[in-house]
Amino acid sequence: MNSCTKCGNTHIIIKRKHSGQSLCKECFLESINEKVLKNTRKYNLIEKGDKVLMALSGGKDSVVALNILNSLKERNIINLTALTIDEGIKGYREEGIKIAIENARKLGVEHKIVSFKEYLGISLDDMMAKNDQVRHACTYCGVFRRWILNRVAQEEEATKIATGHNLDDETQSILMNYLEGNINNLVRIGPKTEAPDRRFTIKIKPLREIPEKEVGLYAVAADLKVHLASCPYAGASFRWEIGSFIKELSINHPTIMYSTLRGFEKIKTALKKEVTIKGNLGVCKRCGEPAADDLCKACTFLKDWDVK
Amino acid sequence: MKIKVIIGEENLNQEIPEGCTVQDLLKKMEIPSETVVVKKNEFIIIEEELIQEGDTIEIIKVIYGG
Ligand code: SF4
Ligand SMILES: [Zn+2]
Ligand SMILES: [Zn+2]
Repeated sequence: MNSCTKCGNTHIIIKRKHSGQSLCKECFLESINEKVLKNTRKYNLIEKGDKVLMALSGGKDSVVALNILNSLKERNIINLTALTIDEGIKGYREEGIKIAIENARKLGVEHKIVSFKEYLGISLDDMMAKNDQVRHACTYCGVFRRWILNRVAQEEEATKIATGHNLDDETQSILMNYLEGNINNLVRIGPKTEAPDRRFTIKIKPLREIPEKEVGLYAVAADLKVHLASCPYAGASFRWEIGSFIKELSINHPTIMYSTLRGFEKIKTALKKEVTIKGNLGVCKRCGEPAADDLCKACTFLKDWDVK
Repeated sequence: MKIKVIIGEENLNQEIPEGCTVQDLLKKMEIPSETVVVKKNEFIIIEEELIQEGDTIEIIKVIYGG
C-alpha cells in the first residue's frame, strides 16, 4: 500500500525514485519549500535586507521560484521585484507576459516589464528576420536577456538577481561545458555567481537542486498559473540534445543528476585553482557595461543589425 | 473500457484494457512520462495508479524543450 512517508496520507502524488520517499500533496509542497529555503541558507544566497530582482518569464520555473521567494518577502527578510523581459517573440511571449502579470499581482509583488525593442532597439523576431548569421536565436536571446537583466538590476539597485534554473538546467550546463571543453565557463557554474565587480549584480539560483519534473509538479499541485508552451525558436540545439540525454538516463538511474552536480562541486574547488579566471574587466566602449574586450558580447552582436 | 483523456485543449475518448495503469496509458499514447503530470478525476496521481471505467484522465505537459 502506498502512503505518504511523512504523514501517512494514502493519496500520494509522487514516489521519489532517488530517495524511495512517497509524498502526499501537502508534504510534497512543504518538502520543496523547505529544500529551497535550506539551500538558500546553506549557500548564503540571500542576506537580510537584500533587494532581489526575480527574472519572471511566466514559465513554471520562475513562477515557482517567485512564490517561494515571496515567503521571504512576507517575513520582511527581503525586498522583492519581478522583472519580465519581452524579447518580442510573436505568438509566444504575449501569453507568458499575461501570466507573469497575474502571478505578480496575486502575490502583491512589484513588477516591471521591459522589452528588447525598448532596450536594444530591435525585437528578437526582427533580429531573426534580418539575420544572415548562422547563430541560433537562443544564443542572441540569452546574451541580450542577460545584458538587460544586469542593466535593470543596476537601475533598480537590486543586490541579487534570482533566476528559475532547476537541477536539469544545471546538470545540462555542467555536461555541455565539459563536453565542449569550455573549462573557463565550467568553473563559473554554481548556485551563486561571484560578481567580478560591482557593476555586475550577483545572480542566484534558488531552484538549482530541484529536478525540473518536480518544479512542474509543484506548479500543478499548488495550482499556480504557469505558461506551458514551447518557444517557436526552441529546437534541436546542443543544450536540448544534452537535456534529452540526461532525462533519458535518469529513468533507469534516478540519482544521476544529483551525482553529476555533487561530483562537479567536488572537482570545482580543485579546478578553480588551475583555471585562471580572466582578470579585471574593462568597460564596453559602446554601452558602458562590463566587458572583457573593447565591446561586450551584446554589443558585438548588436553591430550585426546596426541599430541604436 | 472507456475513459476520457484531456490533453491541453483536446478531449479524447480512449478505449483501454482492464487493469491499465497511468504508465500503460502514457506508453500507449507515446507520451514520455518524465515530461507530464497526470490527474485522475482532478486529483494528481502517480504512474502506477490503476485507471477505471469512466475515469477522466488529464495529462499536463510540464516540460518543453528550449
Ligand atoms: S527558446 Fe531560445 S529564443 Fe525562445 S525564449 Fe528560450 S532562449 Fe529565447
Ligand atoms: Zn503527507
Ligand atoms: Zn556593450
